[in-house]
Amino acid sequence: MGNKEKKTFFAEGEFWKKVLLPGAVILILIFLFMGDSKPNIPDPVPLKQKWYKPETARGEILKNTVMPGNCFICHSLQVPDPNVIRPQFAHGTIKLDHGANNRCYNCHHIYDRDNLAGDGETKISFATPEKLCARCHGIIVKDWMEGTHGLRQGGWLVKDGQSPVNYTCTQCHDPHSPKFKYGIAAPAPTWPDKTIRKDRHSDDDPTSAYLTDSNQERF
Amino acid sequence: MSAEEQKNLKTNDSDQQESGISRRYFLAGTACLSAAAAVSLSPLLNAEEVPSGDDFIQKHYKELTTEDKKEIFARLEAQIKEKYDVDATISDPPPIDGVEFAYVLNLGRCIGCRKCVYACMDENNQSRSPQKQYIRVLKMKKGTINLESASHDYPEKEAESDDFFYMPVACQQCREPKCIEVCPVKATWQEKDGIVVVDYNWCIGCRYCEAACPYHARRFNFAKPQIPAQDINPDMGYLSNRPRYMGVMEKCTFCLHKTRRGEYPACMEVCPTGSRKFGNLRDPKSEVRIIIEQERVFVLKQEVGTLPKFYYTFAK
Repeated sequence: MGNKEKKTFFAEGEFWKKVLLPGAVILILIFLFMGDSKPNIPDPVPLKQKWYKPETARGEILKNTVMPGNCFICHSLQVPDPNVIRPQFAHGTIKLDHGANNRCYNCHHIYDRDNLAGDGETKISFATPEKLCARCHGIIVKDWMEGTHGLRQGGWLVKDGQSPVNYTCTQCHDPHSPKFKYGIAAPAPTWPDKTIRKDRHSDDDPTSAYLTDSNQERF
Repeated sequence: MSAEEQKNLKTNDSDQQESGISRRYFLAGTACLSAAAAVSLSPLLNAEEVPSGDDFIQKHYKELTTEDKKEIFARLEAQIKEKYDVDATISDPPPIDGVEFAYVLNLGRCIGCRKCVYACMDENNQSRSPQKQYIRVLKMKKGTINLESASHDYPEKEAESDDFFYMPVACQQCREPKCIEVCPVKATWQEKDGIVVVDYNWCIGCRYCEAACPYHARRFNFAKPQIPAQDINPDMGYLSNRPRYMGVMEKCTFCLHKTRRGEYPACMEVCPTGSRKFGNLRDPKSEVRIIIEQERVFVLKQEVGTLPKFYYTFAK
Protein backbone atom coordinates (compact mmCIF):
# COMPACT_ATOMS: atom_id res chain seq x y z
CA MET A 1 0.00 0.00 0.00
CA GLY A 2 2.76 2.41 1.00
CA ASN A 3 4.62 1.60 -2.14
CA LYS A 4 1.55 2.53 -4.15
CA GLU A 5 1.10 5.92 -2.45
CA LYS A 6 4.71 6.77 -3.00
CA LYS A 7 4.22 5.96 -6.60
CA THR A 8 1.32 8.39 -6.93
CA PHE A 9 3.32 11.24 -5.46
CA PHE A 10 6.49 10.76 -7.35
CA ALA A 11 5.52 9.12 -10.57
CA GLU A 12 7.58 10.16 -13.56
CA GLY A 13 6.62 13.69 -14.54
CA GLU A 14 3.94 13.91 -11.91
CA PHE A 15 6.16 15.72 -9.44
CA TRP A 16 6.69 18.59 -11.86
CA LYS A 17 3.06 18.80 -12.70
CA LYS A 18 1.73 18.81 -9.18
CA VAL A 19 4.25 20.47 -6.93
CA LEU A 20 6.84 22.51 -8.76
CA LEU A 21 4.66 24.00 -11.45
CA PRO A 22 1.95 25.51 -9.20
CA GLY A 23 4.64 26.60 -6.79
CA ALA A 24 6.58 28.35 -9.52
CA VAL A 25 3.43 30.00 -10.82
CA ILE A 26 2.57 31.28 -7.36
CA LEU A 27 6.07 32.60 -6.81
CA ILE A 28 6.23 34.31 -10.20
CA LEU A 29 2.85 35.96 -9.76
CA ILE A 30 3.72 37.13 -6.27
CA PHE A 31 6.99 38.62 -7.47
CA LEU A 32 5.27 40.27 -10.42
CA PHE A 33 2.41 41.89 -8.61
CA MET A 34 3.30 42.22 -4.97
CA GLY A 35 6.30 44.48 -5.46
CA ASP A 36 6.42 47.98 -4.05
CA SER A 37 4.18 49.48 -6.71
CA LYS A 38 3.42 52.78 -4.96
CA PRO A 39 6.10 55.37 -5.69
CA ASN A 40 6.70 57.97 -3.06
CA ILE A 41 4.76 60.96 -4.43
CA PRO A 42 4.00 63.97 -2.25
CA ASP A 43 0.47 65.34 -1.99
CA PRO A 44 -0.48 67.98 -4.55
CA VAL A 45 -0.23 71.59 -3.44
CA PRO A 46 -2.34 74.33 -5.05
CA LEU A 47 -0.50 76.89 -7.15
CA LYS A 48 0.03 80.34 -5.73
CA GLN A 49 -2.01 82.98 -7.49
CA LYS A 50 0.89 85.35 -7.95
CA TRP A 51 2.56 82.76 -10.15
CA TYR A 52 -0.13 82.77 -12.80
CA LYS A 53 -2.50 85.72 -12.39
CA PRO A 54 -2.40 88.08 -15.35
CA GLU A 55 -1.29 91.54 -14.33
CA THR A 56 0.62 94.34 -15.92
CA ALA A 57 4.20 94.93 -15.02
CA ARG A 58 3.55 98.14 -13.16
CA GLY A 59 2.03 97.22 -9.86
CA GLU A 60 2.81 100.63 -8.43
CA ILE A 61 0.67 102.43 -10.99
CA LEU A 62 -1.80 103.45 -8.32
CA LYS A 63 0.93 105.20 -6.38
CA ASN A 64 1.45 107.78 -9.08
CA THR A 65 -1.98 108.20 -10.55
CA VAL A 66 -3.57 109.98 -7.62
CA MET A 67 -1.82 112.67 -5.63
CA PRO A 68 -3.68 113.57 -2.45
CA GLY A 69 -4.93 117.11 -2.10
CA ASN A 70 -5.43 119.91 -4.54
CA CYS A 71 -2.55 120.57 -6.94
CA PHE A 72 -3.14 124.28 -6.94
CA ILE A 73 -2.52 124.71 -3.22
CA CYS A 74 1.16 124.49 -4.00
CA HIS A 75 1.32 125.27 -7.66
CA SER A 76 -0.54 128.59 -7.41
CA LEU A 77 2.12 129.88 -5.02
CA GLN A 78 5.04 129.01 -7.24
CA VAL A 79 5.87 130.39 -10.61
CA PRO A 80 6.56 127.29 -12.74
CA ASP A 81 10.16 126.93 -13.75
CA PRO A 82 10.52 125.13 -17.11
CA ASN A 83 14.02 123.96 -16.21
CA VAL A 84 13.13 122.21 -12.98
CA ILE A 85 14.87 118.83 -12.92
CA ARG A 86 14.40 117.14 -9.59
CA PRO A 87 10.85 116.42 -8.41
CA GLN A 88 10.40 118.52 -5.31
CA PHE A 89 8.33 118.75 -2.14
CA ALA A 90 5.28 116.51 -2.44
CA HIS A 91 6.78 114.67 -5.39
CA GLY A 92 9.93 113.65 -3.56
CA THR A 93 9.21 109.95 -3.92
CA ILE A 94 9.39 110.17 -7.69
CA LYS A 95 12.76 109.25 -9.13
CA LEU A 96 13.22 110.73 -12.56
CA ASP A 97 15.28 108.37 -14.72
CA HIS A 98 14.11 108.89 -18.27
CA GLY A 99 17.39 109.38 -20.08
CA ALA A 100 17.92 112.77 -21.64
CA ASN A 101 14.31 113.67 -20.98
CA ASN A 102 14.93 115.16 -17.54
CA ARG A 103 12.59 118.14 -17.32
CA CYS A 104 9.25 117.83 -15.54
CA TYR A 105 7.52 120.13 -17.98
CA ASN A 106 8.70 118.22 -21.05
CA CYS A 107 5.80 115.90 -20.39
CA HIS A 108 3.60 117.61 -17.80
CA HIS A 109 1.69 120.66 -18.92
CA ILE A 110 3.28 123.67 -17.35
CA TYR A 111 0.05 125.45 -16.41
CA ASP A 112 -2.54 122.66 -16.30
CA ARG A 113 -1.88 119.93 -13.72
CA ASP A 114 -4.62 117.67 -15.05
CA ASN A 115 -3.13 117.29 -18.48
CA LEU A 116 0.07 116.37 -20.23
CA ALA A 117 1.98 118.59 -22.61
CA GLY A 118 1.27 118.29 -26.31
CA ASP A 119 2.82 120.25 -29.15
CA GLY A 120 2.85 123.97 -28.44
CA GLU A 121 0.07 124.91 -26.09
CA THR A 122 -2.04 121.80 -26.73
CA LYS A 123 -2.90 119.37 -23.98
CA ILE A 124 -2.93 115.59 -23.83
CA SER A 125 -5.27 113.80 -21.44
CA PHE A 126 -3.88 111.38 -18.86
CA ALA A 127 -6.21 108.78 -20.38
CA THR A 128 -4.22 108.70 -23.63
CA PRO A 129 -0.57 108.75 -22.61
CA GLU A 130 0.44 107.04 -25.86
CA LYS A 131 -0.04 110.33 -27.69
CA LEU A 132 2.57 111.90 -25.47
CA CYS A 133 4.96 108.95 -25.81
CA ALA A 134 4.51 108.99 -29.58
CA ARG A 135 6.16 112.40 -29.73
CA CYS A 136 9.49 110.64 -29.13
CA HIS A 137 8.86 106.90 -29.47
CA GLY A 138 6.84 106.92 -32.68
CA ILE A 139 8.02 103.56 -34.01
CA ILE A 140 7.24 101.74 -30.80
CA VAL A 141 3.81 103.35 -30.61
CA LYS A 142 3.14 102.28 -34.19
CA ASP A 143 4.11 98.72 -33.21
CA TRP A 144 1.84 99.02 -30.21
CA MET A 145 -1.08 100.10 -32.37
CA GLU A 146 -0.52 97.12 -34.64
CA GLY A 147 -0.43 94.87 -31.60
CA THR A 148 3.16 93.74 -31.97
CA HIS A 149 4.42 95.67 -28.93
CA GLY A 150 3.03 95.34 -25.48
CA LEU A 151 0.61 93.14 -23.68
CA ARG A 152 -2.70 92.41 -25.29
CA GLN A 153 -5.48 90.30 -23.85
CA GLY A 154 -8.91 89.24 -25.01
CA GLY A 155 -8.66 87.39 -28.28
CA TRP A 156 -6.92 87.08 -31.61
CA LEU A 157 -10.29 86.89 -33.35
CA VAL A 158 -12.06 90.19 -32.86
CA LYS A 159 -15.77 89.49 -32.83
CA ASP A 160 -18.54 92.02 -33.25
CA GLY A 161 -18.92 94.21 -30.21
CA GLN A 162 -15.65 92.98 -28.73
CA SER A 163 -12.30 94.61 -28.66
CA PRO A 164 -8.99 93.29 -27.43
CA VAL A 165 -7.74 94.62 -24.12
CA ASN A 166 -4.77 96.70 -25.11
CA TYR A 167 -2.72 98.05 -22.24
CA THR A 168 -1.42 101.58 -22.62
CA CYS A 169 2.20 102.62 -22.16
CA THR A 170 1.99 103.71 -18.53
CA GLN A 171 0.22 100.56 -17.40
CA CYS A 172 3.47 98.67 -17.90
CA HIS A 173 6.20 101.32 -17.90
CA ASP A 174 6.71 103.83 -15.14
CA PRO A 175 6.91 107.10 -17.13
CA HIS A 176 9.42 108.54 -14.69
CA SER A 177 11.68 105.51 -14.93
CA PRO A 178 10.58 103.64 -18.03
CA LYS A 179 13.10 100.82 -18.08
CA PHE A 180 11.10 97.66 -17.70
CA LYS A 181 11.09 96.28 -14.16
CA TYR A 182 8.99 93.43 -12.94
CA GLY A 183 10.43 91.56 -9.99
CA ILE A 184 7.86 88.77 -9.60
CA ALA A 185 9.26 85.42 -10.64
CA ALA A 186 7.88 81.94 -10.21
CA PRO A 187 9.97 79.09 -8.79
CA ALA A 188 11.97 76.50 -10.68
CA PRO A 189 10.29 73.27 -11.72
CA THR A 190 10.37 70.31 -9.34
CA TRP A 191 10.01 67.53 -11.85
CA PRO A 192 10.97 64.08 -10.66
CA ASP A 193 14.52 63.26 -11.69
CA LYS A 194 13.48 60.28 -13.71
CA THR A 195 11.19 62.19 -16.06
CA ILE A 196 13.54 64.98 -17.03
CA ARG A 197 17.17 65.90 -16.72
CA LYS A 198 18.20 68.21 -13.92
CA ASP A 199 20.84 70.78 -14.61
CA ARG A 200 22.04 71.38 -11.10
CA HIS A 201 22.49 68.19 -9.21
CA SER A 202 24.57 70.04 -6.70
CA ASP A 203 26.59 73.20 -6.71
CA ASP A 204 29.90 71.42 -6.49
CA ASP A 205 29.15 68.89 -9.21
CA PRO A 206 31.92 69.54 -11.78
CA THR A 207 29.81 68.51 -14.79
CA SER A 208 26.99 70.74 -13.73
CA ALA A 209 29.34 73.60 -13.06
CA TYR A 210 30.91 73.16 -16.47
CA LEU A 211 27.57 73.16 -18.24
CA THR A 212 26.10 76.12 -16.45
CA ASP A 213 29.15 78.26 -15.80
CA SER A 214 28.36 81.65 -17.17
CA ASN A 215 31.97 82.69 -17.62
CA GLN A 216 32.87 79.98 -20.09
CA GLU A 217 32.79 80.60 -23.80
CA ARG A 218 31.55 77.38 -25.33
CA PHE A 219 30.65 76.97 -28.97
CA MET B 1 -12.87 -3.62 -20.61
CA SER B 2 -16.42 -3.77 -19.42
CA ALA B 3 -18.43 -0.74 -18.40
CA GLU B 4 -18.39 -1.91 -14.79
CA GLU B 5 -14.64 -2.11 -14.74
CA GLN B 6 -14.35 1.38 -16.13
CA LYS B 7 -16.64 2.66 -13.41
CA ASN B 8 -14.51 0.93 -10.83
CA LEU B 9 -11.40 2.57 -12.18
CA LYS B 10 -12.88 6.01 -12.02
CA THR B 11 -14.20 5.72 -8.53
CA ASN B 12 -11.05 4.07 -7.22
CA ASP B 13 -8.89 6.81 -5.72
CA SER B 14 -5.76 4.81 -5.35
CA ASP B 15 -5.55 3.77 -8.95
CA GLN B 16 -4.39 6.83 -10.86
CA GLN B 17 -2.11 5.56 -13.52
CA GLU B 18 -4.88 5.48 -16.06
CA SER B 19 -7.23 8.27 -15.00
CA GLY B 20 -4.33 10.84 -15.14
CA ILE B 21 -5.18 13.18 -12.30
CA SER B 22 -7.13 12.45 -9.21
CA ARG B 23 -9.95 14.50 -7.84
CA ARG B 24 -7.92 15.31 -4.76
CA TYR B 25 -4.97 16.69 -6.69
CA PHE B 26 -7.20 18.44 -9.15
CA LEU B 27 -8.95 20.25 -6.32
CA ALA B 28 -5.69 21.00 -4.57
CA GLY B 29 -4.18 22.40 -7.76
CA THR B 30 -7.25 24.49 -8.49
CA ALA B 31 -7.26 25.85 -4.96
CA CYS B 32 -3.58 26.68 -5.23
CA LEU B 33 -4.01 28.43 -8.55
CA SER B 34 -7.05 30.40 -7.48
CA ALA B 35 -5.33 31.43 -4.27
CA ALA B 36 -2.31 32.51 -6.26
CA ALA B 37 -4.49 34.41 -8.71
CA ALA B 38 -6.40 36.10 -5.90
CA VAL B 39 -3.22 37.09 -4.11
CA SER B 40 -1.53 38.29 -7.24
CA LEU B 41 -4.52 40.23 -8.54
CA SER B 42 -5.39 41.77 -5.18
CA PRO B 43 -3.39 44.97 -5.93
CA LEU B 44 -5.97 45.65 -8.63
CA LEU B 45 -8.53 46.23 -5.88
CA ASN B 46 -6.71 49.38 -4.88
CA ALA B 47 -5.30 50.15 -8.32
CA GLU B 48 -4.92 53.82 -9.02
CA GLU B 49 -6.94 53.88 -12.18
CA VAL B 50 -9.10 51.18 -13.69
CA PRO B 51 -10.91 52.10 -16.90
CA SER B 52 -14.65 51.56 -16.94
CA GLY B 53 -16.20 49.28 -19.54
CA ASP B 54 -17.31 52.23 -21.64
CA ASP B 55 -13.83 53.71 -21.45
CA PHE B 56 -12.46 50.41 -22.60
CA ILE B 57 -14.59 49.99 -25.72
CA GLN B 58 -14.45 53.65 -26.76
CA LYS B 59 -13.48 54.13 -30.40
CA HIS B 60 -10.79 56.36 -31.86
CA TYR B 61 -11.64 60.07 -31.79
CA LYS B 62 -11.87 60.32 -35.55
CA GLU B 63 -14.43 57.51 -35.73
CA LEU B 64 -16.77 59.10 -33.21
CA THR B 65 -20.09 60.53 -34.35
CA THR B 66 -21.61 63.59 -32.75
CA GLU B 67 -23.88 61.43 -30.60
CA ASP B 68 -20.96 59.29 -29.51
CA LYS B 69 -19.08 62.40 -28.46
CA LYS B 70 -22.07 63.71 -26.51
CA GLU B 71 -22.28 60.42 -24.61
CA ILE B 72 -18.56 60.27 -23.97
CA PHE B 73 -18.36 63.87 -22.78
CA ALA B 74 -21.28 63.29 -20.40
CA ARG B 75 -19.56 60.19 -19.05
CA LEU B 76 -16.25 62.02 -18.57
CA GLU B 77 -18.02 64.92 -16.88
CA ALA B 78 -19.67 62.48 -14.48
CA GLN B 79 -16.30 60.91 -13.75
CA ILE B 80 -14.78 64.32 -13.03
CA LYS B 81 -17.75 65.20 -10.80
CA GLU B 82 -17.27 62.00 -8.87
CA LYS B 83 -13.54 62.41 -8.52
CA TYR B 84 -13.14 66.14 -7.87
CA ASP B 85 -16.71 67.30 -7.14
CA VAL B 86 -16.40 69.93 -9.87
CA ASP B 87 -19.05 70.69 -12.49
CA ALA B 88 -16.86 70.63 -15.55
CA THR B 89 -17.99 71.14 -19.10
CA ILE B 90 -16.11 69.26 -21.77
CA SER B 91 -16.28 70.88 -25.18
CA ASP B 92 -14.75 70.03 -28.49
CA PRO B 93 -14.57 73.13 -30.68
CA PRO B 94 -13.70 72.18 -34.28
CA PRO B 95 -10.87 73.84 -36.20
CA ILE B 96 -11.88 77.09 -37.86
CA ASP B 97 -11.59 77.17 -41.65
CA GLY B 98 -8.84 79.41 -43.00
CA VAL B 99 -7.04 79.56 -39.68
CA GLU B 100 -3.52 78.36 -39.05
CA PHE B 101 -2.16 79.20 -35.63
CA ALA B 102 1.32 80.50 -35.12
CA TYR B 103 3.28 81.83 -32.20
CA VAL B 104 6.01 84.45 -32.07
CA LEU B 105 8.18 84.96 -29.03
CA ASN B 106 10.38 88.01 -28.66
CA LEU B 107 13.48 86.85 -26.81
CA GLY B 108 14.68 90.42 -26.52
CA ARG B 109 11.89 91.08 -24.06
CA CYS B 110 11.45 87.82 -22.16
CA ILE B 111 12.69 88.18 -18.57
CA GLY B 112 12.37 84.53 -17.61
CA CYS B 113 9.81 85.10 -14.84
CA ARG B 114 8.11 81.72 -15.61
CA LYS B 115 4.59 83.10 -15.22
CA CYS B 116 3.68 81.46 -18.54
CA VAL B 117 4.72 78.11 -17.10
CA TYR B 118 2.34 78.33 -14.17
CA ALA B 119 -0.48 79.94 -16.14
CA CYS B 120 -0.22 76.93 -18.45
CA MET B 121 -0.37 74.55 -15.49
CA ASP B 122 -3.41 76.37 -14.15
CA GLU B 123 -5.25 76.46 -17.46
CA ASN B 124 -4.46 72.96 -18.64
CA ASN B 125 -5.14 71.00 -15.42
CA GLN B 126 -1.62 69.70 -15.36
CA SER B 127 -0.57 67.38 -12.61
CA ARG B 128 0.70 69.24 -9.55
CA SER B 129 2.28 66.15 -8.05
CA PRO B 130 4.32 64.81 -9.74
CA GLN B 131 4.78 68.13 -11.43
CA LYS B 132 4.10 68.41 -15.16
CA GLN B 133 4.94 71.54 -17.12
CA TYR B 134 4.72 72.02 -20.86
CA ILE B 135 6.97 75.07 -21.01
CA ARG B 136 10.63 74.97 -20.14
CA VAL B 137 12.37 78.33 -19.83
CA LEU B 138 15.99 77.97 -20.88
CA LYS B 139 18.45 80.44 -19.46
CA MET B 140 21.31 81.15 -21.81
CA LYS B 141 24.28 83.43 -21.78
CA LYS B 142 23.97 86.42 -24.06
CA GLY B 143 25.90 86.16 -27.29
CA THR B 144 25.16 82.59 -28.24
CA ILE B 145 22.27 80.20 -28.49
CA ASN B 146 23.82 77.17 -26.89
CA LEU B 147 21.10 74.79 -25.84
CA GLU B 148 23.63 72.43 -24.34
CA SER B 149 24.79 74.90 -21.74
CA ALA B 150 21.29 76.24 -21.12
CA SER B 151 19.75 75.82 -17.73
CA HIS B 152 16.04 75.25 -17.28
CA ASP B 153 15.91 74.95 -13.52
CA TYR B 154 17.58 78.19 -12.54
CA PRO B 155 16.24 79.56 -9.23
CA GLU B 156 13.75 82.39 -9.40
CA LYS B 157 16.23 84.98 -8.14
CA GLU B 158 18.24 84.48 -11.34
CA ALA B 159 15.39 85.72 -13.50
CA GLU B 160 15.47 89.17 -15.06
CA SER B 161 19.26 89.20 -15.34
CA ASP B 162 21.05 91.45 -17.81
CA ASP B 163 23.74 88.87 -18.58
CA PHE B 164 21.38 86.20 -19.82
CA PHE B 165 18.45 85.76 -22.10
CA TYR B 166 15.59 83.42 -21.53
CA MET B 167 14.06 81.14 -24.12
CA PRO B 168 10.76 79.47 -23.28
CA VAL B 169 10.38 76.22 -25.20
CA ALA B 170 7.13 74.31 -25.51
CA CYS B 171 5.56 72.31 -28.33
CA GLN B 172 6.55 73.95 -31.59
CA GLN B 173 3.46 72.67 -33.45
CA CYS B 174 5.60 71.58 -36.39
CA ARG B 175 4.31 71.39 -39.93
CA GLU B 176 6.22 68.10 -40.26
CA PRO B 177 5.69 66.62 -36.80
CA LYS B 178 7.97 63.68 -36.17
CA CYS B 179 5.95 62.65 -33.13
CA ILE B 180 2.86 61.67 -35.12
CA GLU B 181 4.86 59.62 -37.61
CA VAL B 182 6.12 57.24 -34.95
CA CYS B 183 2.83 56.66 -33.13
CA PRO B 184 1.95 52.98 -33.61
CA VAL B 185 -1.75 53.46 -32.85
CA LYS B 186 -2.39 56.87 -34.45
CA ALA B 187 -3.34 58.33 -31.08
CA THR B 188 -1.72 61.64 -31.98
CA TRP B 189 -2.32 63.60 -35.15
CA GLN B 190 -2.31 67.07 -36.67
CA GLU B 191 -5.56 68.98 -36.88
CA LYS B 192 -6.56 71.20 -39.78
CA ASP B 193 -5.42 74.37 -38.03
CA GLY B 194 -1.98 72.89 -37.45
CA ILE B 195 -2.33 71.88 -33.80
CA VAL B 196 -0.94 68.47 -32.90
CA VAL B 197 -3.28 66.76 -30.45
CA VAL B 198 -3.43 63.52 -28.46
CA ASP B 199 -6.47 61.34 -27.78
CA TYR B 200 -5.80 60.44 -24.15
CA ASN B 201 -8.22 57.53 -24.32
CA TRP B 202 -6.46 55.99 -27.30
CA CYS B 203 -2.83 56.49 -26.27
CA ILE B 204 -1.12 53.28 -25.17
CA GLY B 205 1.78 55.05 -23.48
CA CYS B 206 4.64 53.65 -25.54
CA ARG B 207 6.49 57.00 -25.43
CA TYR B 208 7.77 56.72 -29.01
CA CYS B 209 6.56 60.27 -29.67
CA GLU B 210 8.46 61.59 -26.66
CA ALA B 211 11.64 60.08 -28.06
CA ALA B 212 10.95 61.40 -31.55
CA CYS B 213 10.37 65.02 -30.53
CA PRO B 214 13.54 67.10 -30.97
CA TYR B 215 12.26 69.73 -28.53
CA HIS B 216 11.30 67.53 -25.59
CA ALA B 217 7.82 68.99 -25.75
CA ARG B 218 5.88 65.93 -24.72
CA ARG B 219 5.25 64.83 -21.16
CA PHE B 220 4.44 61.35 -19.96
CA ASN B 221 2.30 60.55 -16.93
CA PHE B 222 4.38 57.98 -15.14
CA ALA B 223 2.24 58.35 -12.05
CA LYS B 224 -1.37 59.20 -11.58
CA PRO B 225 -1.80 62.96 -12.12
CA GLN B 226 -2.85 64.67 -8.92
CA ILE B 227 -4.58 68.05 -8.84
CA PRO B 228 -6.21 69.69 -5.81
CA ALA B 229 -9.96 69.99 -6.44
CA GLN B 230 -9.97 73.77 -5.97
CA ASP B 231 -7.35 74.12 -8.70
CA ILE B 232 -9.37 72.32 -11.39
CA ASN B 233 -10.20 74.46 -14.39
CA PRO B 234 -13.81 73.47 -15.24
CA ASP B 235 -13.62 74.76 -18.81
CA MET B 236 -12.25 71.67 -20.52
CA GLY B 237 -11.60 70.54 -24.05
CA TYR B 238 -11.68 66.87 -24.98
CA LEU B 239 -8.41 67.11 -26.92
CA SER B 240 -6.70 69.60 -24.66
CA ASN B 241 -7.05 70.16 -20.94
CA ARG B 242 -9.36 67.52 -19.52
CA PRO B 243 -7.68 65.54 -16.73
CA ARG B 244 -5.27 62.97 -18.08
CA TYR B 245 -4.85 59.36 -17.05
CA MET B 246 -1.84 57.58 -15.73
CA GLY B 247 0.27 56.15 -18.55
CA VAL B 248 -0.68 58.55 -21.34
CA MET B 249 1.25 61.21 -23.18
CA GLU B 250 0.29 64.87 -23.06
CA LYS B 251 1.53 68.04 -24.72
CA CYS B 252 0.83 71.71 -25.39
CA THR B 253 -2.18 72.22 -27.65
CA PHE B 254 -2.03 76.04 -27.93
CA CYS B 255 -4.99 75.93 -25.46
CA LEU B 256 -7.26 74.88 -28.33
CA HIS B 257 -10.39 75.02 -26.17
CA LYS B 258 -9.68 78.77 -25.89
CA THR B 259 -8.00 79.63 -29.16
CA ARG B 260 -10.60 77.94 -31.34
CA ARG B 261 -13.16 80.21 -29.74
CA GLY B 262 -11.09 83.24 -30.71
CA GLU B 263 -9.32 83.76 -27.40
CA TYR B 264 -5.63 83.93 -26.67
CA PRO B 265 -3.76 81.03 -25.07
CA ALA B 266 -3.15 81.28 -21.33
CA CYS B 267 0.61 81.73 -21.56
CA MET B 268 0.20 84.74 -23.82
CA GLU B 269 -2.36 86.52 -21.69
CA VAL B 270 -0.27 86.26 -18.56
CA CYS B 271 3.06 87.42 -19.99
CA PRO B 272 3.82 90.73 -18.25
CA THR B 273 6.34 91.80 -20.89
CA GLY B 274 4.20 91.19 -23.95
CA SER B 275 6.96 89.15 -25.54
CA ARG B 276 4.51 86.45 -26.58
CA LYS B 277 2.36 87.01 -29.66
CA PHE B 278 -0.24 84.61 -30.99
CA GLY B 279 -2.47 84.75 -34.02
CA ASN B 280 -3.67 83.45 -37.32
CA LEU B 281 -0.82 82.97 -39.77
CA ARG B 282 -3.12 83.30 -42.79
CA ASP B 283 -4.52 86.68 -41.73
CA PRO B 284 -2.21 89.36 -43.20
CA LYS B 285 -3.20 91.81 -40.47
CA SER B 286 -2.53 89.53 -37.52
CA GLU B 287 0.23 90.38 -35.07
CA VAL B 288 2.26 87.27 -35.83
CA ARG B 289 2.15 87.92 -39.55
CA ILE B 290 3.29 91.53 -39.12
CA ILE B 291 6.21 90.47 -36.93
CA ILE B 292 7.24 87.64 -39.26
CA GLU B 293 7.20 90.06 -42.20
CA GLN B 294 9.00 92.90 -40.45
CA GLU B 295 11.44 91.26 -38.07
CA ARG B 296 14.14 88.65 -38.42
CA VAL B 297 12.61 85.51 -37.01
CA PHE B 298 14.10 82.08 -36.58
CA VAL B 299 12.89 78.66 -35.58
CA LEU B 300 14.49 76.32 -33.08
CA LYS B 301 16.61 73.49 -34.53
CA GLN B 302 15.90 74.43 -38.11
CA GLU B 303 18.28 71.73 -39.31
CA VAL B 304 16.04 68.87 -38.20
CA GLY B 305 13.43 69.84 -40.76
CA THR B 306 10.34 69.92 -38.60
CA LEU B 307 9.21 73.35 -39.91
CA PRO B 308 7.85 74.69 -36.60
CA LYS B 309 5.09 77.27 -36.39
CA PHE B 310 6.66 78.70 -33.27
CA TYR B 311 8.98 81.56 -34.20
CA TYR B 312 11.58 83.33 -32.11
CA THR B 313 12.88 86.81 -32.68
CA PHE B 314 15.23 89.27 -31.02
CA ALA B 315 13.20 92.36 -31.83
CA LYS B 316 13.41 95.51 -29.74
